[in-house]
Amino acid sequence: MKSVLVRPERCIGCRHCEVACALEHSQSKELFTMLKEVPLSEPRIRVEVGINFLTFPNRCRHCDPAPCMQVCPTNALERDEGTGSVVVNYNKCISCAACAMACPFGVIQFKEVYQVRLKREVNAKCDNCLERQLEERIPACVEACKTGALEFGDINNLIRVSRKDFTIRMIKSQGAEVEVPKIPENVKVFRNVLEKLASEGPFKED
Amino acid sequence: MYNDPLFLKKEAEKRALNKTDQEIIEKAISEGVETAWERLEKQQPQCGFGQLGVCCNRCAMGPCRIDPFSEGPTRGVCGATADLIVARNLLDDLAVGAAAHSDHGREVIEVLLETAEGKGQGYKITDEEKLKAIAEEYGIEVKEKNKEEIAKELALAMLEEFGTIKNRIQFTERPPEKTREMWKKLGIMPRSVDREIVEADHRIHMGVGADYLNILLHALRASLADGWGGSMMATFVSDILFGTPTPTSSWVNLGVLAKDKVNIVTHGHNPILSEMILKASEDSELVNLAAQKGASGINIVGMCCTGNELLMRHGIPVAGSLLDQELAIATGAVEAMIIDYQCIFPSITSTASCYHTKVVCTSEKAVVPGAIYKQFKPESALDTAKEIIKLAIENFPNRNPDRVKIPDKPIKMMAGFSEESIRKALGGSYKPLIDAIVSGKIKGAAGVVGCNNPKIKMDYGHVTLVKELIKRDILVVETGCAAYACGKAGLLLPEAADLAGEGLKPICKALGIPPVLHMGSCVDCSRILNLVSNIAKEIGVGIEDLPVVGAAPEWYSQKAISIGSYFVASGVSVVLGIPPKIFGSTNVVDLLANKLKGVVNAVFAVEPDPLKAADLIEAEIQRKRKALGI
Repeated sequence: MKSVLVRPERCIGCRHCEVACALEHSQSKELFTMLKEVPLSEPRIRVEVGINFLTFPNRCRHCDPAPCMQVCPTNALERDEGTGSVVVNYNKCISCAACAMACPFGVIQFKEVYQVRLKREVNAKCDNCLERQLEERIPACVEACKTGALEFGDINNLIRVSRKDFTIRMIKSQGAEVEVPKIPENVKVFRNVLEKLASEGPFKED
Repeated sequence: MYNDPLFLKKEAEKRALNKTDQEIIEKAISEGVETAWERLEKQQPQCGFGQLGVCCNRCAMGPCRIDPFSEGPTRGVCGATADLIVARNLLDDLAVGAAAHSDHGREVIEVLLETAEGKGQGYKITDEEKLKAIAEEYGIEVKEKNKEEIAKELALAMLEEFGTIKNRIQFTERPPEKTREMWKKLGIMPRSVDREIVEADHRIHMGVGADYLNILLHALRASLADGWGGSMMATFVSDILFGTPTPTSSWVNLGVLAKDKVNIVTHGHNPILSEMILKASEDSELVNLAAQKGASGINIVGMCCTGNELLMRHGIPVAGSLLDQELAIATGAVEAMIIDYQCIFPSITSTASCYHTKVVCTSEKAVVPGAIYKQFKPESALDTAKEIIKLAIENFPNRNPDRVKIPDKPIKMMAGFSEESIRKALGGSYKPLIDAIVSGKIKGAAGVVGCNNPKIKMDYGHVTLVKELIKRDILVVETGCAAYACGKAGLLLPEAADLAGEGLKPICKALGIPPVLHMGSCVDCSRILNLVSNIAKEIGVGIEDLPVVGAAPEWYSQKAISIGSYFVASGVSVVLGIPPKIFGSTNVVDLLANKLKGVVNAVFAVEPDPLKAADLIEAEIQRKRKALGI
């Protein structure tokens, strides 16, 4: 099974994935014309700030079975068998938001999309870049990510890296200072500074 | 939520340390007025490439960025590495800051020239003694010349230093020989004010500088052209025109706005505007007009560094710093905000549109959409100033008393500590201060300067650090927004000596001075340079040998990068509370935080926690004391 795995420690909050996603789901697929389109294409992946200015790019996990599909009263959510993606048939969507209530990840959003003629907002969630995948291209967000926070591939292969990290940690547990996944020293120092900064300003956690 | 008093209180406490600021922050939130804090929140998350300094958006092959995890791109399209991109970005920021200070300086010199030529309206030469002293320093014969003739020659001599023919800046001869030798050896002796800035832009063009070290050395040179050039000229020529500051007392915080007077906020940097506004406000016709409109007077208050300029020389009350600009308007009691340039939020007119406040912009360099534009020229300065004040008075009846809230208690503060007045307070030489440092009663001194930044609770960084430093017997001098912060906290008063340690306290008490000395605006960081330079010369060492440290706990501006760099290049280590955009390059960080010590005996450090910053400052002071054998 192919999927997008997020490595949160690699996300630096540049939101390049958001721009690439909006572009991919626009009518023109051209950056400068996209901004003039009505409705405006909006990203389906969102980079949110957690604490200490650290970020996480959140997108649909394309669950199977998918809670959203199970609760959709009009069967507007369908599975693409080839890629395993959960996709929305916009014209069947009645904007009831039952899917959003069922979604454990909070990644469903309601927006106007150019595929629907009437002026109404429908479930405009991530479609896993189905069109691109059919052309054997990886999802736009993954292509845009230059830090390796978003990776696309066979999920077990991707997980293997994390598994290896865990193994190293277990084996070296006598010397507990070993740190995996490995973060460059300068990035660690910078995040340390941000953590302190977060505790001294409006971003202080309650 | 916006009307829930508990939410408002909590939010205000997160944003600002000072109660008067908190009061108006609550008002702004409940009235739906957008401020920098809301905008910062909407900007989250902020791009990591930008924060790390590894985003290059200079040419059309880009924009490019380097993967900080080293698995993605490690070079831009042109081939630049993270080191080079970080260095180019830093030099760019620094050059912008140096340009801002120096272009401000140039305008003051131009006013001196026009005044000398009899073309300036309302300006005069106030400090003739300083004019002569500096003219002599420039090699100008002063005998048998009137002050206008001297001023003209001096102005032209200074303007020459902005160009490239002379190839030397006079004030760089001021520091001790040892420090000057250090610059010569490093090849960072500045040649001209504008040249270093223009060359900085040249060097960061694609295909010019490729070595981060070489680029950053030029950054140090450009910063010296600011500190010992453009900024110092701005300070001294302002002194010649408007007077060298002497200790004075005044009031600070948003409570200086008056309930029954026409409130005019002068906001920005250059005293050539604010001085004329102040002068025009004394015009009897305008005072009468204010009375006719139902006001009991005209209340000129300062904001940001132009406020510091007026405060230092005339003791006018000051409303606050960078993050107070929107809050002042949100009191509902400001008839006009008069701006020149630097640190004025581009959205200020949209804030003003929530109330009756009129924003008047005066510089062709800083036109703000939605503001009334009254171009300020030396030849018609006083007339324009009167016009602007009239406009403010006529706006007084539009104030809606139901929407006015002014905090009721301004705080008393002292200011006016120019280098000359500090020396005078010490009895004409630095000997008493040097003796106190040698004996250890005073461990050393810290220059705490710089801005506000909504990323850190407003004033918390400044006030916490400064309280800790004086407690540890470290004398503090301040400029800019830092001085406002400590003024609001009551630290700029002789009584604040009670908060100082056992060594510093009796000295402040004996001299009747606060433990924290307000030395002026941000260009007046050049006064700090002169202070340390004169002390070093009196001892017979280099500036880099002195137990003094700089700090910018809440900086935001490119000008602060230039200031921090000319401190470090002059041998004074600097602790920053906000990380500069350099962490994407291990080599640049290592150079600035470690290796520079070997060449200028000073480094940069980053420490947002003000108490830990105090530790770093004290450790650096102790390192230098040890080297001096004291």
